[in-house]
Amino acid sequence: MIDAIVSEWLKLRTLRSNLYLLAFSVLSVLLCAGVTFLVTRGFDNQSGDDRLNFDSIGAGLGTGLPVAYFVMAALGALSITSEHATGLIRTSLVAVPRRQLFLFAKIPALAAVTLVAGQVLVFAMHFAAQAVLGDRAGHVLLDGRTLGVSLSDPGVLPGLLVAGAAMPLVAMVGLGLGAVIRSTAGSLVTLIMILFVLPVVAQTLPSPWRARIGSFMVENLPDQIVAGDGPGVLTPSAAFALLLAYPVVALTAGAVAIAMRGRGARPLVAGGLAAALLVAVTAVPAGATASALTWKPCGKELECSSVQVPVNWSKPSGRKISIQIARLPATGTHRRIGTVFAIPGGPGGSGIEDLQKKGGNFADLRQRFDVVSLEPRNTTDLGVIPFDCLSTGPWITLPADRAGYDRLAARNRKAAERCRKTDPEYFDHLDSGSVARDVEAIRVALGEEKLNFLATSYGGVVAATYARLFPGGVRTMYVDGGINQLVDQTSHVRLKYEAIEGQFTRFAAWCESAAACALHGRDAGAVWRGLTAAADRAPVPVKGERVAYSGFDFKVAAAPDVITPGPAPDFPNWQRFARAIDQAVAGDAAGFADYVEQATKTIKVPSFRGMNSTHCTDGLAFKGYEEFQRMKALGERISPNFAGNALWHPLGCVGWPAPVANPATPMPADRLPPFLGAGTWTDHAETAALVIGVPGSSTVRYNGSGHGLYLSGNLCTISHANRYFTSLRLPPRGTTCEPPAVE
Amino acid sequence: MIEVTGLTMRYGDALAVDDLTFAVKPGLVTGFLGVNGAGKSTTMRVILGLEAPDKGMALVGGRPYGSMKEPMREVGALLDAGAVHGGRTAAAHLWCLARSNGIGRGRVGEVLEQVGLLDVAGRRIAGFSLGMRQRLGIAAALLGDPGVLMFDEPVNGLDPEGIRWIRELMRRLAGEGRTVLVSSHLMGEMALTADHVVVIGRGRLIADTTMAEMVERFQRGVLVRAADQPTLAYVLSAGGASVREEDGALSVSGLDATRIGELALARGIALSELTPRSASLEEAFMELTEESVEFGAGRAA
Repeated sequence: MIDAIVSEWLKLRTLRSNLYLLAFSVLSVLLCAGVTFLVTRGFDNQSGDDRLNFDSIGAGLGTGLPVAYFVMAALGALSITSEHATGLIRTSLVAVPRRQLFLFAKIPALAAVTLVAGQVLVFAMHFAAQAVLGDRAGHVLLDGRTLGVSLSDPGVLPGLLVAGAAMPLVAMVGLGLGAVIRSTAGSLVTLIMILFVLPVVAQTLPSPWRARIGSFMVENLPDQIVAGDGPGVLTPSAAFALLLAYPVVALTAGAVAIAMRGRGARPLVAGGLAAALLVAVTAVPAGATASALTWKPCGKELECSSVQVPVNWSKPSGRKISIQIARLPATGTHRRIGTVFAIPGGPGGSGIEDLQKKGGNFADLRQRFDVVSLEPRNTTDLGVIPFDCLSTGPWITLPADRAGYDRLAARNRKAAERCRKTDPEYFDHLDSGSVARDVEAIRVALGEEKLNFLATSYGGVVAATYARLFPGGVRTMYVDGGINQLVDQTSHVRLKYEAIEGQFTRFAAWCESAAACALHGRDAGAVWRGLTAAADRAPVPVKGERVAYSGFDFKVAAAPDVITPGPAPDFPNWQRFARAIDQAVAGDAAGFADYVEQATKTIKVPSFRGMNSTHCTDGLAFKGYEEFQRMKALGERISPNFAGNALWHPLGCVGWPAPVANPATPMPADRLPPFLGAGTWTDHAETAALVIGVPGSSTVRYNGSGHGLYLSGNLCTISHANRYFTSLRLPPRGTTCEPPAVE
Repeated sequence: MIEVTGLTMRYGDALAVDDLTFAVKPGLVTGFLGVNGAGKSTTMRVILGLEAPDKGMALVGGRPYGSMKEPMREVGALLDAGAVHGGRTAAAHLWCLARSNGIGRGRVGEVLEQVGLLDVAGRRIAGFSLGMRQRLGIAAALLGDPGVLMFDEPVNGLDPEGIRWIRELMRRLAGEGRTVLVSSHLMGEMALTADHVVVIGRGRLIADTTMAEMVERFQRGVLVRAADQPTLAYVLSAGGASVREEDGALSVSGLDATRIGELALARGIALSELTPRSASLEEAFMELTEESVEFGAGRAA
């Protein structure tokens, strides 16, 4: 046995043609470098978001690996076909009459040579590609991968080692095929079919079959065994089994072919069983979960289902309600990692509507995830409590003294009771704690061990609550423009003022530079401060209505337009805001009233009962008149343009009838994975304050206006978030995204 | 010792070897004779385990070849001088073979010297003439210093000097007590080399005998010319011979030349010619195999 093996090693070594063949494999390294060079050329010619659409070259083996595999397989095939071609086989079989021993004795030498050569090649390909790529490698792409990867990145070294270790297995495929086919040309053609033609044919299939069939191709298996961030649907164990099945099948066939007539049954049975076993492992469905849900199509790619939950989670067996959920299923081109659960903002926004309207932003994420969202129990138009009641509310006035504060409380309570009386039990359980428990019920129904969260705006409160209640259910937590329930009132108010003052400064600067601003040529800040100060003394009437705007009313009405200027370079909302100021200075507040009415159907901004039903039960309220006073004074001190504006939301909860059901409590940071936060000029600071509570967390800061970067399709932010969801890797602190350049 | 017992080998409908039984003894050169296609090579391939017989068996030293762990130490074979990879050097080729049977590297040099290829040991086989390849094949057969040697048509392509060399080599090997089986379709060649012959035709055994017996068996009488032929014919007939006239001479059978001479002397008849005659071995071989060549008078297969 040993003698036969050593003899085969000598045979391999003593043929110069084998050395030439191995030298030929250097072509694979050149190919990798060349293709990478073409990629960098293209990459350098693109800018901004266009670069995000590039496909990752991963470790850089892509084009070279099949060539290297072909060379190794050819070496394996030739080790037997050349014996047939020259007739040496007869001499060999006289020397080693046990034919299967003769065939299998070729394996160790072949494996040793191809393993060493393979590892050298794989690393050479990697380093060649990385050298060409340079520092472009770290560029994060839309699907969450980077353009290239370095050896220090997790999974890369093992990935390369596996790709190299696959070389001997591929050589065995060649050996087995050679033993079956006997002809060199026939064997090489078959190998070309397997390694080059079939993958190309698979590429012509429509998605997702392209990726699914492609998953089974030899050269795509190593990546699925380790790194697994490229295309392919197989689990690591399935890919590994398949990688073994290829040589087992080929060698079995080879052993049967070479065995003498009538004696072939044993290797056939043994090899056949082994191959069947290995293939059975690959057939195990990838990422199957034990979901109890039935999904029905509900428009475009969306699928809908529902989950029953108790109205009052402290009485689990009590009255039930049905929570509607929707899913954008994974597209099946990559191995599914799990579910990204989108928590909508609001409070009370519909996540299902987000998926309907903005689902396209999930296209890359859906390569690896189902995206699921819900219509939360506090959505205003669920119908349990009349829509009209929740979508309207009283106008808030700034109390001048304790008596005024108490009058506001009485007014608020009366307004809230109008809604509450239709279903008190339901009305009292619209807090984010109940929503978080609903999410947990959905997680269980989905059959997911953990969820990945994409929380937008007020969804941040639900997310933090979920993390506090069910830390074990969190795989990743991405908070986008998140409201931070945990921050104390002083800090919260301070952040709000800083945000809006910063934005107002930008507005004023724009006004100074842009002729489109109605206040161009004037000091917009001075005009605004003059208007609001005067209006606080003598409210400005809305022409044709018996309503007048105080300075406080102006600030509340103006805030959304200041925060969100609208698309550059026209900034339509800022234009509208400037016109409204201009008009108000002239004595008519209609400019503000008109657009407020368009949005709310009332000419001043109402304190929406629907939102308050969650805000107030989440405890986002003043502890009492004294706190209100302190916050008022704080605003007057730090916010020259918007003092009082930050008081508007908490004032809506003064006198609220339902108790605080979900008070702010810190998250168990030690039991949670690091979070990723993302925010704009106006919401980054608050988001950062939220995620910073979990050690190791990081944020992406977008140097621009807006709110809700992922759902609004900011590709730079999406790429960082996808990277985090996919590979749990966070961008370094201080990472920023820039707005697309305006032509 | 090679024993072939009831060997039957079919290729599809064609019967290549048909219930063949013979033994090859040590210390002798055994010629394995038959026309091309008679089944010699097939039989040798079966003996070497390259083919599995449909029936019967072939044993070398009492064991099937396939069961030997290091067969080259027991059997050396030259089946086909072309069965080599031209890309290897002669030494590398032999070293690969030797190693597979645990034979030391020193033997490679020894056998190369023995076959006269030492000078070209480092040259690639692709550049070898057929004669050199035959020598290389013989070197390979000798590697394991085996007790049994088999050569399939070893003189093909050799020059007269090479043919003589092989003939002497085989005689020497047999002289050392080894079993030597040499196939050929040329009877004349065998007559000079073999001690024993096994003749097959259409896969069947035709003759299994010593070379001497073979010669004896095809004795064709004695040709006699004498002054008084009629008298001599009478005398010889009386002595138990059968006599007939042939081209003015007498063809005598039943008595050998010595006895004929004695009887003629006793009667005082002068002999002008006394020639013992035998069929040429080539003729004898043809005679033996005539009926069994594929296109000859066939038996029902």
